[in-house]
Amino acid sequence: MRENSLIESWLRGIAIAVVILFFMFPIVWIILMSFQTNETILRIPPSVVFEPTLDNYRALITGKLETNAASLDIAFMRNLGNSVLLSVGAVALALILGVPAAYSFARHKTRFSEDIAFTLLSFRFAPPLLVLLPLTIYFQKLGLSDTYFGLIWVYQLICLPLILWIVRGYFEDISEDVEYAYRIGGHSWFSTFRKIAVPLAGPGIAAAGLLAFIFAWNNFIFALVLASADKQPVTVGALAFVTASGIQYGQIAAAIVLSITPTLLLALYAQKYLVEGLSLGAVKG
Amino acid sequence: MTGPRLTISNVDKIYGSGDAGVHAVEDLSMQVDAGEIVALLGSSGCGKTSTLRMVAGFEEVTAGAIAINGKPVHQLAPVRRNVAMAFEGYSLYPPLTVRDNIAFALKSARLPKTEINTRVAHIAQLLDIENILDRYPASISGGQQQRASLGRALIRDADLHLLDEPMGQLEPQLRAVLRGRIKHFIKERGLTAILVTHDQTEANALADRIAVMEAGLLQQFDTAAQLKNSPANLFTGTFIGEPPMNVFRAQVQLDGPKLALQLGDGVSLDYQCSDFNPQVLDRIQQSGELLLGVRPYAIKRGETGSAATVVANQWLGDQTHISTSFAGGTMVLVEHDRVRLNKGDQLFVTIAADDLHLFDAQTSVAIAHGREVAQ
Amino acid sequence: MSGLDLRGIVKRYKGDTVLDDVNISVQTGETLVLFGPSGAGKTVLLRMIAGVIDPDEGQIIVHGRDMQGVDPEDRGVGMAFQNFALYPHMTAYRNIASSIEVTEKSKQKLDDAVQGVARLLKIDQVLDHAPRALSNGQKQRTALARALVGSPSLLLLDDPLRNVDAKLRFEMRIELPALLARQGTTVVYVTQDYKEAMALADQIVVLNTGRIQQSGTPADVYLTPANTEIAQQFGDPAINLLDVTPQQDDHGVYVSLSDKKLYIDSAFGPWCNTPCVLGIRPETLRLSTVASAASIPASVEAVTPLNEKTVTLLRTAGGRELLVSRPAGTDEDLSGQVFIEVSNESVMLFDKRTGSRLDAHQQEAVA
Repeated sequence: MRENSLIESWLRGIAIAVVILFFMFPIVWIILMSFQTNETILRIPPSVVFEPTLDNYRALITGKLETNAASLDIAFMRNLGNSVLLSVGAVALALILGVPAAYSFARHKTRFSEDIAFTLLSFRFAPPLLVLLPLTIYFQKLGLSDTYFGLIWVYQLICLPLILWIVRGYFEDISEDVEYAYRIGGHSWFSTFRKIAVPLAGPGIAAAGLLAFIFAWNNFIFALVLASADKQPVTVGALAFVTASGIQYGQIAAAIVLSITPTLLLALYAQKYLVEGLSLGAVKG
Repeated sequence: MTGPRLTISNVDKIYGSGDAGVHAVEDLSMQVDAGEIVALLGSSGCGKTSTLRMVAGFEEVTAGAIAINGKPVHQLAPVRRNVAMAFEGYSLYPPLTVRDNIAFALKSARLPKTEINTRVAHIAQLLDIENILDRYPASISGGQQQRASLGRALIRDADLHLLDEPMGQLEPQLRAVLRGRIKHFIKERGLTAILVTHDQTEANALADRIAVMEAGLLQQFDTAAQLKNSPANLFTGTFIGEPPMNVFRAQVQLDGPKLALQLGDGVSLDYQCSDFNPQVLDRIQQSGELLLGVRPYAIKRGETGSAATVVANQWLGDQTHISTSFAGGTMVLVEHDRVRLNKGDQLFVTIAADDLHLFDAQTSVAIAHGREVAQ
Repeated sequence: MSGLDLRGIVKRYKGDTVLDDVNISVQTGETLVLFGPSGAGKTVLLRMIAGVIDPDEGQIIVHGRDMQGVDPEDRGVGMAFQNFALYPHMTAYRNIASSIEVTEKSKQKLDDAVQGVARLLKIDQVLDHAPRALSNGQKQRTALARALVGSPSLLLLDDPLRNVDAKLRFEMRIELPALLARQGTTVVYVTQDYKEAMALADQIVVLNTGRIQQSGTPADVYLTPANTEIAQQFGDPAINLLDVTPQQDDHGVYVSLSDKKLYIDSAFGPWCNTPCVLGIRPETLRLSTVASAASIPASVEAVTPLNEKTVTLLRTAGGRELLVSRPAGTDEDLSGQVFIEVSNESVMLFDKRTGSRLDAHQQEAVA
C-alpha cells in the first residue's frame, strides 16, 4: 500500500504539472512578450532568451507609440481609467440595487417573486448585438449616448442579475433563526439586514461583486458602439494597436498585463473574504 | 474457529500531515470475538467513527494492522473484507424500493429467490417495516429509513456487521422493543457486530462489551457492568452512567480507627478504617487528597447522616431525580419511586464505603472501587 | 394573573392546517411545556408568540396585552433556539449584549448585566470567543444567556437542549428550574423529550398534527394519558400495548392474556366485547421464576440494560411481546421460562378504534 501510494503521488504530481503548464503557458508567454520588441517576438524559431526592454510599457504610459513607419498617439492610460470608472461605477450601482433586492427575494416569498427574479435574469439571455441597435437609438434620443452615466447604466445591466442571483442564494443559506433572534433582541428589520444579513452574506457579496467586476471589465461590444474615443475602456482601446504598419505585439502584451492587473489585485484582496466566509459557514447549525 | 474475529493492532489514524495533522485515533489495540456485540462509545470527535471506517475499509490506517479471522485486511478494498455496514446517513439506494434495498446484497450473491423472500420477510417483521417494503426511500420517514438501512446490513452473511449510530433516529416508542429484537436476532444468528454510538443507553442495551473512547484514545474496553462498577479513570466514571456520577474533592484525615473524608463546606464523611482494605487505606493516606465519586442511585436517604438541601425534584414517571446542594456543590440522587420533596427541603444522606469510587487527585486514574474499598 | 393567553390560534400553509384552534393559558411565573413529535406545530406556535410569524386567526395576549400588529422587537420576549442561532461574526459577549443594547444605554449597566448572566451560566471565561471557538455546551449556554439577559417577562425556549450531549442535557435539566424561577419569568418550553417535559413543566400541553391532545400536570399526563399515542410517548421503555377484548364472568370484568384471566376494574363493564387496547407500564410488571395462579408464562428474548434499569423483552406463549423494566440488579440473570405478574390496578384500557383512554370512574360518575 505504501509503494502504491508513492507511485500514486508521483503520478498525481506529474498530472498537476502538465495541467499547470497547459493553463499558465499563454500567460507566461504574454508576460515575456511584454518585455520584448516586435523583432524578437517575431523571430523564428521563438526563444525565451532575449534582452528585456521596458519600451512597451514606456510607450503605453507616455502615450507615444513609435512604430518603424511612424509615431502615433495612443490613449491607453485614459482607456484604463475609463475601464476602472465604468466597472467600479457599474458594480457599485448593481450592489446598491442588487443586495437589498436579493434579500427581499430570499426572505419574502410572494406569488410573483420567483417570476420577477427570473425576468431580471432574462436580461442576460438576449444576445448583446440584438439589444444594441434599439439601445443606441434610445440613448441618442435620451441624450445618454456617449456619457459615463449612460455607459454605467448599461454596464450595470450586466452586473445586476449576476449579483442578484448569487447573493440571493447566500441570503437563503443564512438560518432564519439567526435573524429572528436579532429581531427578538430588540432590533428593527433594517438593522437586522445591516448587522446580521449583510455581514453573513459578505463572502457571497464579495464573490458576486468580483465576478460582476470581471464581466464589466471585459465587456467590449456595448462600449464599442455606445462610447466615443475619450470614453472607451481598454477592451476597445486595444484596437489601436492594430496599426497600418502592422500589429504591435509587444505593446499589446504590455497592455494585457496592465489591464489584467486591477482584476487580479481585486481578486487577491477579495480572496480573504471568500475564505473567511467558508470558515463562518462551518459554524452554521 | 479459533482466535478472535477482529484484531486491531496499534492502529493510528492521522488526518492531514505535519503540525496541522489531526490525530483521530491513537495506538488503538482491541480484539472482538466471534459472536460478540461490541460498542464503540464516545462523544463526537473521539475517533469511534474513524475506527469503524478503517475496519470497513473506507479509510486507510496511518499505522498499525487490522485482521479479520487472523488475516490482515487493512490493505484490501472494502468489498473484499466480507463486512456488512449500516450507515448513519442510511445511504439507501433511492431508485430501489425498500424491499430491493434490503435484498440487494442477497441478489448480487445470486441466492435462490425463495430464500431471499423468506429472509426479507423475516427481517421486515423484526424491524416493523413490512408495510413499507414496496415504498421508495424518499417517501418514508427518517426512522423508517434507518430501519430499512439496518435491515439491509443485518440480512447479509458477513464476518462482521458494522453499525454506525444504528438507532439514533428511531421512533422513541419503538426503541426499547427494537433493541431487544435486534439483540435477540444477532445472538440467534451468531453474528459478530460492532456498533458506533454516542448514546450509552444504546451501547449498554446491545453490547456485550463497550470500548469507551475519548480524544482518539481507548479509555476502557469492558462489559457494561465493569464500566459502571470499576471505571478505569475519572473520565469513564463520569461518562458512563445516567445521571452522571457525583464527584467531590476530598481531604483524607485519619484519626485512630476512624477515617474522615472532608468534602468541603464542613461536610465530612466518616468511616471506620476497618471498612477499608489495608492497601487502599495506605494509598489514600499517602495522597492526602483524592477525588471521590458516588453514583446517584448509590446514595441512601435516611433519618441521619450528612445534610443536603433539595434544589430540584424531578419525577420522570418511573424514576425521581433529586438535585441537592451538598458540600458546596451539587449532588444528584436517584430513586425508583416517586419522592415527594420540595425545593428547600432538607434530607440526610449516607454513602456506604463500598459505594465509593476513589480516583487520584492529580492523574484522575482510579485507585479503588466499591467492594475493593471495603474489606 | 395570566402570563400568556393563546385564543383560537389557527395557521395554514398552502392549504394544510398546521395549527387548529389552539387555546392555551399560562399563569405568570409558570413553565408550560409544549410537547409533541416533529411536525406537530410546536415551533410554529412559539414563533407566533415571538412575532416572527403571524397567525391566520386567533389572539396572542402577553400579560394582558394583545400582540396583534406588534413587531417582534417590541414584544419584550426572550427566545432561545434549537440550533442556538448565535451570530457567528460576533463574540459571545456581543451576542449576549445584542439583546439589551437597544434599550440599555448605560455602558456600565449593560456590562454588569452581561457579566452577571454569564457568571450564572458559567461562561464568563469565554465571553471574548467567537461562537466557532466555543464547545457545543458553551454555545448552548451563550444562546440561553442571550435569551435571559434582558429579564424578559416571557421566555420562549425552542428545544434548547436538543443539540447538546446527554451529560450536558442532564446538567441543564437540573439547573434550569432554578434559573427560570429566579426571574419569575413565564416560560414556554418546546421539547420532544418526555423526561425534559416532566422535569420542567408546571403544565404540559401535548400537541399532535396541530391540535392539542392533552393538557395537564406531568402526573396527569403520565398516569392518565388521553390516548395510546401519548401513553407511548411518555415513558422509557414505552408502555406495553396489547389488543384485548374485555369479558365478564361471575368474578368481574377480565381480559385474557395467554389463557390467564386478568381481572380489571369492574367499572370497565360497559366495554365488554368491545375491541380494546390494554396498556401496562413496563415498570409495573414483576418477574418471577415460579408460577402462580395469575402469572403469565413467557420466555426471555433479550435482556437490555437501560440507565439503572434492567429491561427484559419477553414473548408470551401466545406470541405477544412484553417489556418489563426493573431497577438494575433485579432481573439480570433471567433466561428461558419466566412468569409475569401483572398488578391489575396499574393497567389502563384504551378504545381500540379511537385510541382514547377509557376512564372507568368518569363513566361511573356519568352513570
